[in-house]
Formats: sequence, C-alpha cells, structure tokens
Amino acid sequence: MRELLAQAWTVARKDLVLEFRTRTAVLSAVVFTALVLTVFNFGRDPTAVAATDLAPGILWVTFTFAAMLGLNRAFQLELENGALEGLLAAPLSRVSLYWGKLVANLVFVGVVEAVGLPLFVLFFDVPLGHALLPLVGVLALATLGIVTVGTLFSAMVIRTRFAELMLPVLLLPFLIPPLVLAVLATARLLAARPLSESLAYLKLLAAYDIVFLGVATMLFRYTVDE
Amino acid sequence: MNLVRKGRVITLLGLGLLAGVYVRALAFTPVERLQGPAQKIYYLHVPAAIWTEMAIVLVGLAGIFYLFLQDPRLDRFAEASAEVGTVFATIVLTTGPLWGKPIWGTWWTWDARLTSTLLLFFLYVGYLLLRSAITDPALRGRYAAVLGICGMCLVPFIHLSVYLFRTLHPQPIILKPGPPSLPASMLITWLCSVGAFTVLYVGLVTQRYGLSLQREAQGGIGG
Amino acid sequence: MADVPQNSGYMVAAYIVTAVILIAYAVSLYRRTPKP
Repeated sequence: MRELLAQAWTVARKDLVLEFRTRTAVLSAVVFTALVLTVFNFGRDPTAVAATDLAPGILWVTFTFAAMLGLNRAFQLELENGALEGLLAAPLSRVSLYWGKLVANLVFVGVVEAVGLPLFVLFFDVPLGHALLPLVGVLALATLGIVTVGTLFSAMVIRTRFAELMLPVLLLPFLIPPLVLAVLATARLLAARPLSESLAYLKLLAAYDIVFLGVATMLFRYTVDE
Repeated sequence: MNLVRKGRVITLLGLGLLAGVYVRALAFTPVERLQGPAQKIYYLHVPAAIWTEMAIVLVGLAGIFYLFLQDPRLDRFAEASAEVGTVFATIVLTTGPLWGKPIWGTWWTWDARLTSTLLLFFLYVGYLLLRSAITDPALRGRYAAVLGICGMCLVPFIHLSVYLFRTLHPQPIILKPGPPSLPASMLITWLCSVGAFTVLYVGLVTQRYGLSLQREAQGGIGG
Repeated sequence: MADVPQNSGYMVAAYIVTAVILIAYAVSLYRRTPKP
C-alpha cells in the first residue's frame, strides 16, 4: 500500500512540476473561470432575480466547465511527447498511475476553484458567513466525484477521434448527480440553513465518490493496457 | 445468416403481441376517469422505460464479463443492447411529453421517470459515439466495456439525485396522475405490454447481434 | 362528477409514434443487412 502511494505521488509530482513550470494551463483555466462568471453576470437581469437564487447553479456550472478544461491536458501531454509509452513500460502499477493522475488533476482543479470561489463571492455578493467551511467541504466532495470519473475517461478519449468533443459528451451524464447534489447543498448552505439539512446530499456525494473511485481504480488498467 | 432470421421472427412476434396490446388497451380497457384516454399512454410509456433501464444494466454486465473473458460475443451483445436501449429511450421520451401535455399542462416536466430516461439516453448516445470513434475492435470492446460498467453504476445515483431534485420542485398539475391504483383489467393490459416489449427487446437485440456477425464475416471491421 | 377529459388525440398520437419508432428501427435493421 505504501509502495502504491509513493508511486502515485511520484506520478502526481511529475505532472504538477510540469504544470507549474509553464503555468499556462492553470492560468488559462483561471482566466476562463473568471470570464464565465462575468458572462453569467450579464446573462441575468439583476432586478428580476435575486443573485442568491441563481448563485449555486452559476457556481457549479462554472466549476464543472473549469474541471472539464483541466481534464484533457493530463494525458494530452503524455501522448504528444510519447511519454505514455515510457510510463507504461516503467515498473509502475496501473493503480498508482491512476491515483497519480487523479491527484495532479485534483490539485489543478483545486487551484482554479481556490481562485474562482472568492471571485464568485465578490461578483455575486454572496453572504458566506459561517458557511465557508461546509461549502469547501461540498466543493471537495463534488470535485472529487467529477475528477475521478473525468480522469478515467480522459485516458480513454485520448485514443479516439475527436477527443476534445468526446470527453464532455461522455462525461456529462456522470457529472449530473454530483452537480445536482452540490447545487442543492450549496443552496442550503448559502441560505444559512443548518448543516443537518444538507446531510443527505453530502452522504450521497460521499457515496458517489467512494463508488466511482473504486470503479475507476479497478477499470483504469483496461484503458491503458493492450 | 440464421440469427438475423431468428431475430426477425421474434421481432415480428413481438410486433404482433404489441398489436394485440394496442387492441386490448384501446378497445377493451376502461378509460381512467380522472385522466381520460391519455392515461392509456401509460401502457406503452412505462414498459418502454423498464426496458430502457434493463438494457443498460445488461450492457454493463456484458462489459464486466467481457473484460474478464475477452469473448467478442459479449461485446456484440453489449452493442446490440445499447442500440435497442436507445430506441426504447426514444419511445419513452416521445410518449412522455404526449402524456405530460394533457395531464400536467406542459410538454416537458422534469419528472423522475422522464429525467432519468433522458440521462440514460445521453449515456446510450455517448456509448454509441465512443464505439463509432474507435476502429480497432479489441480497443473498442475494452473501452466500451469500461464506459458501460460506469454507466451501469451511475443508474442508482441518477435515480437518487433526480428524486432529491424533484422533491423540491413540485409540478403544477392539472389532473392528478400518480401511480394509478390499477384495477385488474388495467393491470393485465399493463402486464401484457411488458411482455410484448420483452419479446421486442429480445427480437431486436437478436437481429442487431446477427447484423454485427454478418458485417464481421464480410468486411472484417465489425459493428 | 366532472366529465372525463377529452384528450384521446394525445393517446392516438402516442400509440402511432411508438409503432412508427419500432417499425422504423426494425426496417432499418433489415435495410442494413449487407447484401452478399
């Protein structure tokens, strides 16, 4: 187990070093997030609908888009440089490879969300208050769900034609349950409802994460092996 | 090829049974007092929805066995089940609004069954698109199995999240549908319809499976 | 007691649509058979 984790961390660190050396991908994703939030602002009539009604939906649609942006690059880089072959030849367990990619993607999306959330609070004048910590929890759970399945699928679509179109098309049905649950929980939290009211949503999010983390871990080797 | 012919026979049988259901539903089953004749759409809408779900579970199960056994027959079956599932989903998604308009007052309601079926439809389409984007049969079988298994695991989450989403959005209703408390004659019609759709599923899948076999025998690409 | 609603038009449409979809798919399977 420790060996697996160590290997995973090696894979993750390699990706992250590459990522933050150039910083282009992260910056693009952050800018994209800011732009989407801006577009949403002009997409509504501020006199007609209160920001707090739309806010949870806007937040999660934005983060979903940002997550999808980040997902393809993970394997794109490998494939371009033929590094994928080298990785597979190395004595690296497929599980470690998956977890490593997963961690790298999580960090990437996490950074984007860390910038996006304050922007969101700012643009839409959202009353955070005590809801910050639970909200971060919801963010973590839902993001994990999205990136877990997304990392698995991005490994597949790389080998197909029209990869950039394929990933969103395949991924979107899988994003809807975590999206729905996250929006429901976020709406409760922003309305200053007690955490107990969102418990069902959080439990289901956690269940989704556990199930798909397990399934993706087991299935990953079929996406990269011959 | 034998399978295609067998499939056609079964499908014709299924269509015949369905015609029988039509007659029974339209002429010999009482009209529901509150909803009127439109309630009879239920006899087609629900059995089709049941088989839409069953088909995707079967795609997922076939995927699991395919990854272990590498048997191309499982992959052919999965492809056939996915295509037929898409057809049944289309039936649900077209009869649903035709039921919804007279009963709920709008063409589309995000009710549990319709919403779940819409998501299943997207799963099916994605599955078929993925298959069409890969030319190597072995890779295609593997990737399709991975997607199929994930899709199967997603189904319970679809139901639960749709349920949670819906309990917050009560539908404006004109007539009260709900699950009708079915008197015997309606129940029998409904069961006959489930039977007809079952036979249709078997027949159409067999035909589609046979079609894959024929193409592989001729062209070598398969599917 | 209220009248039974007169909505059989929708019912007919739905029954026709279902039959059309099924028959169209069955026919498409027939047409897609490769001719030897």
